[in-house]
Amino acid sequence: MTATALTPGPVRGIAAGAPKRKISPERISASITLVVILVIAIQALVAIDISIPKMFESMDNAERFFIRVGGVTFPPLGELLYLTALTVGLVLCGTLLAAVLSVPVAILSASNTTPGPAWRWAGRFVGVLTRAVPDVVLAMVFVLMFSLGALPGIMAIGIHSVGMISKMFADAIEQVDEGPRLAIRAAGGTKTQEFVSGIFPQVMPSWVATVLHRNDINLRGSVILGYVGIIGLGREMSYAFKAMDYSLGMGYAIVIFALCVLMEVVSSSVRSVMLGHAPTGRGMGDRLVRRFGKKSPRETMANAVGFASPAQALVRPWTNARRRNVVWGITSVLVVIGSVVISDIQWRDFITFWGKVPAIAVQFWPPTFGSYEYGTMLDAMWKTIAIALAATFLTLLGSVVIGSLAARNVAPNGFIRSASRFILVVIRGIPEVILAIMLIVVTGLGGQAGTLALAICGVGLLGKLIADSSEEVNPGPERALTATGATRLQVFAGATFPQGVQSLIGHTFYLLDTNVRAATILGIVGGGGIGYYLLNAGQGSKYGVVTAIVLMILATVLVVEGLAMWMRRVFR
Amino acid sequence: MGHPQSLPLPATAGIERDRTVKVAFLTKLFGENKALDGVGFEAGRGELVVLLGRSGSGKSTLLRHLNGLEVPTSGQVQVLGEDLSSLTGSSLRRLRSRVGFIFQQFELVPSLTVLENVLTGSLAVVRGPRLGLFGYGKARRLTALEHLETVGLLQLAYQRADTLSGGQQQRVAIARALMQEPEILLADEPVASLDPESSDQVMNLIRDIARSKGLTVVCSLHQVDLALSWADRIVGLRHGKVVLNTLTENMTREEAMGIYGQVEVATITSEFQAIAEELDTPGHRERIARDLATAAATTRAGRKAP
Ligand SMILES: Nc1ncnc2c1ncn2[C@@H]1O[C@H](COP(=O)(O)OP(=O)(O)OP(=O)(O)O)[C@@H](O)[C@H]1O
Ligand SMILES: [Mg+2]
Repeated sequence: MTATALTPGPVRGIAAGAPKRKISPERISASITLVVILVIAIQALVAIDISIPKMFESMDNAERFFIRVGGVTFPPLGELLYLTALTVGLVLCGTLLAAVLSVPVAILSASNTTPGPAWRWAGRFVGVLTRAVPDVVLAMVFVLMFSLGALPGIMAIGIHSVGMISKMFADAIEQVDEGPRLAIRAAGGTKTQEFVSGIFPQVMPSWVATVLHRNDINLRGSVILGYVGIIGLGREMSYAFKAMDYSLGMGYAIVIFALCVLMEVVSSSVRSVMLGHAPTGRGMGDRLVRRFGKKSPRETMANAVGFASPAQALVRPWTNARRRNVVWGITSVLVVIGSVVISDIQWRDFITFWGKVPAIAVQFWPPTFGSYEYGTMLDAMWKTIAIALAATFLTLLGSVVIGSLAARNVAPNGFIRSASRFILVVIRGIPEVILAIMLIVVTGLGGQAGTLALAICGVGLLGKLIADSSEEVNPGPERALTATGATRLQVFAGATFPQGVQSLIGHTFYLLDTNVRAATILGIVGGGGIGYYLLNAGQGSKYGVVTAIVLMILATVLVVEGLAMWMRRVFR
Repeated sequence: MGHPQSLPLPATAGIERDRTVKVAFLTKLFGENKALDGVGFEAGRGELVVLLGRSGSGKSTLLRHLNGLEVPTSGQVQVLGEDLSSLTGSSLRRLRSRVGFIFQQFELVPSLTVLENVLTGSLAVVRGPRLGLFGYGKARRLTALEHLETVGLLQLAYQRADTLSGGQQQRVAIARALMQEPEILLADEPVASLDPESSDQVMNLIRDIARSKGLTVVCSLHQVDLALSWADRIVGLRHGKVVLNTLTENMTREEAMGIYGQVEVATITSEFQAIAEELDTPGHRERIARDLATAAATTRAGRKAP
């Protein structure tokens, strides 16, 4: 995990092509921090006690479980379809709300569009804050303020997603070509015109991709919103499990899993059509699209149109591209309208909402641990962190193996590479909450199941990143080692891995960052840790406790995020 | 008439109005670096002025001053009768809308259609943001299509800009500038990224437009031959100073090449400067400055001799 630990001294000399850096004091302290975190992670793993015998035991459990439950049942088809449409519609509305809210936040936070440094910090602060507060917590609050229905869920998703979407939007804005914008300024355009005509058309494709990507994430996350009363498949599943109807609960879980995979396919094809090029991603959806999607019909050359005069050219000819764009445009408008309709938004709530804010805000203040002991709460928080650390560590081990085998320049042969890539794709399709719930229900274990679920799902992400970045390493040192007669494994250990270690550290901390949030949420479904107390406090109307817990989570997330940023900067 | 003193006035006023670009004592510092050093030149209606000079001599910086994209460190820039330093905000934007600017890299929005790109030239007039073709109104779309016909690209109106060749993109950029109904056209190395054939096409287009509409064109170029065949007047820049300002008809190729001359001096100068920085004491500085002057003079003399 650390550059120093995994890079044998003599190899440094051979891997001369690898980027060299001066060892700065900051790098040394970062390395020490890394070692400390590693030790804590291993301790956490030991404490959580995931042992092989126990896992076999729980396998027996699983067998007995399925015999007892007697298979899986599904709800009636009509109900299932309605719930599915409702879930998708609600998530879509929430994501779109976030997309709209993100535009001003992104403009403020991007260095080339911000009106001033103070605005920039304000924009970034909003981004970090909305990202740090889990959507479950927002949903809990909004459930109190709105009539029951889709609105609390939409608002929770909408606000929480602003963090990620605005960050990606801002990154896209910072990467635009400044030329077209300069041309508009030179022609006497205003700042607004510079943005709308010079920048927006450039960032549009990446914005669409970001929003669709976030929509997938939100669909997975919507399961957990059901546990705090947001309507949809997630809530029905939580009811089923609460009523000990495990076979129905499992039925819902399977439907959600299928829905997530389906959504990935749909969003991938929408992306490819809207962006006007073949999908290049390696996701499951992208693969399917590439396989089944036919090549777009060749654009009719405009030369063939033949306008006789400018007046004639006023009527835009109906080329295939235009037809396709219009069809897709209308379809997306219909989908959005459909989502709003099916979510049955109580618009009046937006007016009554403000009246309720003061009364409810008072309930959330001051923060208190209520009847809980400080020790219990800190212990629970620590458990959540421990789960995240242990899961990240396990993921790292698994990913280095699978991810490396999935890289062209490491895999012993094409078959192993394809198989590993396929495993990664399948793992990425699994919503971690569903996996955790299944593990918990089946094995009856708490923290272990949560850790395992996070660890497994993490491999999908980290494994892919490792595979991609090892394929991108400079092949020079590898060739140098191969030329000296080194074995494949020696080449990997001596050249490929040391070069990839930098980005590996960055990716791992990114994973740890997301895992801390995910571990909190897993507690809500019984995965152990602080999430359990959060749910309890919410359901018991002890809102002061909710606030206290949220502040603890916020502090933890900010510390981890800061740490992650530092590590990414130092080991870049 | 009648009044004897008023006689010369109308004539001068006419010339004055004709001088659409007037630059005097223009100096621009980027930190320590003097990009422009006391530059002065004028350009009139219907005139095509070409700026020549080595890379880094200040051509782009000078052009960017002419529509207020750069602010002078000192000196005056007068464009279309207005002192640029007195303009801010909307008055500056109004002036910019009367000055078309053409870039080496065309600077079209790649994902928009050719027609939409041309229409962005009218943003200063329409006020407020516009998205899509229909936001601009039918009359403007027709005008844009007419400009596209002028540059010979009417058939490509609905193609994406990034599917066009470099020469075609530059012609789209010219149509975009025409959309502003400009009185002045500034072009910063408009053909530097184009092959010779497209270069001629683009230069031809620029000159025809300038002639037929009576525009002032100030255009920087790298190729002396292009400058000699298209320019009415050539202004040569070296190290931010004007070293030549002559009508093309009176000029020989050697004279034009002279703008680039004295490569050796430039090299020697920078070498001396490097040494000077190392031995940066007041006494040393003075002596080295003297040495520099002598060295430059000797080299000049040496080159003139054969
Ligand atoms: N924004 C800027 N900041 C700092 N220095 C600059 C800036 N723009 C130009 N310069 C400097 O001013 C000098 C003149 O640059 P300019 O771009 O005007 O030259 P040029 O004649 O257009 O060269 P080229 O033919 O390579 O385009 C150069 O030394 C350049 O480094
Ligand atoms: Mg230049």
